[in-house]
Amino acid sequence: MSDRLKIILLLLPAMSVIVLLFFGGLLIGLMRSFNYMPVIGLTEPNLQAYVNVFTNEEFYWSFLLSFHISFTSTLISCVLAVGAALLLRRAFIGRAVINFLFQLNLTVPHLVGAIGILYLFSQSGVFARLAAEVDLIQRPADFPAMVFDPFAIGIILQYVWKEVPFIGVIVLANMQALGENYESVARSLGASKWQTFRHVLLPLIFPGILSASVIVFAFTFGAYEIPALLGANYPAALPVLAYRSYTDVDLAARPEAMALAIIIAILSAVMIFIYIRYSRKRVRS
Amino acid sequence: MTHVSIQELTKVYPGADAPALDRLSLEIASGELTALLGPSGCGKTTTMKMIAGLLEPTSGDVRFDDRSILRDKPEHRGVVMVFQNYLLFPYMSVADNVGFGLKMRKTDSAEIKRRVGEMLDLVKLPDLGDRRPSALSGGQQQRIALARALIVQPEVLLLDEPLSNLDAHLRFEMRDLIRSLQQEMGITTIFVTHDQEEAVVLADRVALILDGQMKQYDRADVFYKRPVDEATARFFGGHNFIPGKSAGGIFDGPLGRLSLADGAVEGAGKLTFRPENVRVGQGDGNNLSAKVADVIYLGTQTRLKLRVGETEIDAVVNPNEVEGFKPGDTVPIHLPPQTLWVIS
Repeated sequence: MSDRLKIILLLLPAMSVIVLLFFGGLLIGLMRSFNYMPVIGLTEPNLQAYVNVFTNEEFYWSFLLSFHISFTSTLISCVLAVGAALLLRRAFIGRAVINFLFQLNLTVPHLVGAIGILYLFSQSGVFARLAAEVDLIQRPADFPAMVFDPFAIGIILQYVWKEVPFIGVIVLANMQALGENYESVARSLGASKWQTFRHVLLPLIFPGILSASVIVFAFTFGAYEIPALLGANYPAALPVLAYRSYTDVDLAARPEAMALAIIIAILSAVMIFIYIRYSRKRVRS
Repeated sequence: MTHVSIQELTKVYPGADAPALDRLSLEIASGELTALLGPSGCGKTTTMKMIAGLLEPTSGDVRFDDRSILRDKPEHRGVVMVFQNYLLFPYMSVADNVGFGLKMRKTDSAEIKRRVGEMLDLVKLPDLGDRRPSALSGGQQQRIALARALIVQPEVLLLDEPLSNLDAHLRFEMRDLIRSLQQEMGITTIFVTHDQEEAVVLADRVALILDGQMKQYDRADVFYKRPVDEATARFFGGHNFIPGKSAGGIFDGPLGRLSLADGAVEGAGKLTFRPENVRVGQGDGNNLSAKVADVIYLGTQTRLKLRVGETEIDAVVNPNEVEGFKPGDTVPIHLPPQTLWVIS
């Protein structure tokens, strides 16, 4: 058997799953978004669903909200993760324990995290009651709105809580593989601690940060459950909007749901492309 | 020009039984090129890192022109360290690598460009400024690392095994480059190496460190002629150590009475001489009759294992002198008195 054939055969199982599920799903979604659904007698493709989506004001608010959620969560997570990795790579007593605790919530599902946020930060949650108990506020309901709020604070908190260890683990592995000699060189050439971080360590770990943050951004932009649980009713995040149309009693709303899903996919691809293009140039200068 | 004084420098790593470096004292004259020589793990890299400020000493002091630098941050010490594996920043062009130190000092970019050009000329790689480090050979990377260090005009330059990653034919080229740059710029330079050849070839003076302690600090040739003890002599390839007693310029031992050079140590000790100083044939004094135990041809030289009575002697001689020698032959040899040395 030729090497080429072997490679093709070995890749086939994985590739067929990807092609069938991913591209198959995408294709069906695409067809439905064009109002092409022979089962219920729609056989004339058209762009009506897209027109409906783009003429609906809520779509634009939802896009802004989703972008804000993803951008802010990714940015805060990256900064905190790099900071944590910088601390965790040092040798100190109890490092193994701290390291374990740091990575612990990698295994906790997002939904559980969301319930935690509800318990702790909602206006009837633990912190609200505590604040009322110690007379910081009069009633628990006076607690600042951090869940179901227009700025999506609760959602961002949940994502940050969950993604910091994810990015942190990648960045930490990256830093440990590099060792500290590059930084030693920079220091001895006259770079201050900050310059060493900015001009040497950051560019060196940047590939790790880049891939981790792309994953986080794409995930948070397309994820449904956390905004559904912790988000305000209006505007809703894009995936929530899509799901609402999908479960609408009116079957005719389904093409709109599919159009939204396709738009979400295209938007994340475009934003990630722009991000990779420009951030690489800026960091490595 | 900076005089470097290392005083009782000691490093004990947390949890270690023995110090990694034990009270090292060295005076390095300004502009001198000094080698710290020793096997791996003997404390030489620890010493360099402490001078560079990358590691805190447990005790002792490092002084530049009589001013302690231990409180200075690494970036303010005027010390630059060049690592063994060069560590050029992979995401920068060669020119940006060379100009890094100046950029950190906020030198303006036209000036950086001009001086980077000068440095690249100096290390004889004027056309490589736009390349990535990964596109350079090992020898070229080494030169760029050197240029990157020298552009900031350090008072003291530290080199970690500067020749050991290079092919044999590049070593002499690099040696000449390092020596000429170092002398031209008058930079006091310290390098560490585990390779005695590298130390001998490059350094004005060599400090031999064994097990965290300095054994001897001298010009390179002294280590061959006048080693302080057996470990030092062995590190430099010494093989012959014969116990006995030295008195009044005569060494009395299993080889009989041998005359010594002036200034030899008196009392009980070991006689030592270099294998290459054993002469075949009769000569002035110290003539012996030896039995050939083995002849090992090494190409440019021949190693003879000889026996005088019960004592084994290692000799390295010119192959032409010993053509036809076979194990079992008895041959005359002599040991020139000025090549004999007694260690206590």
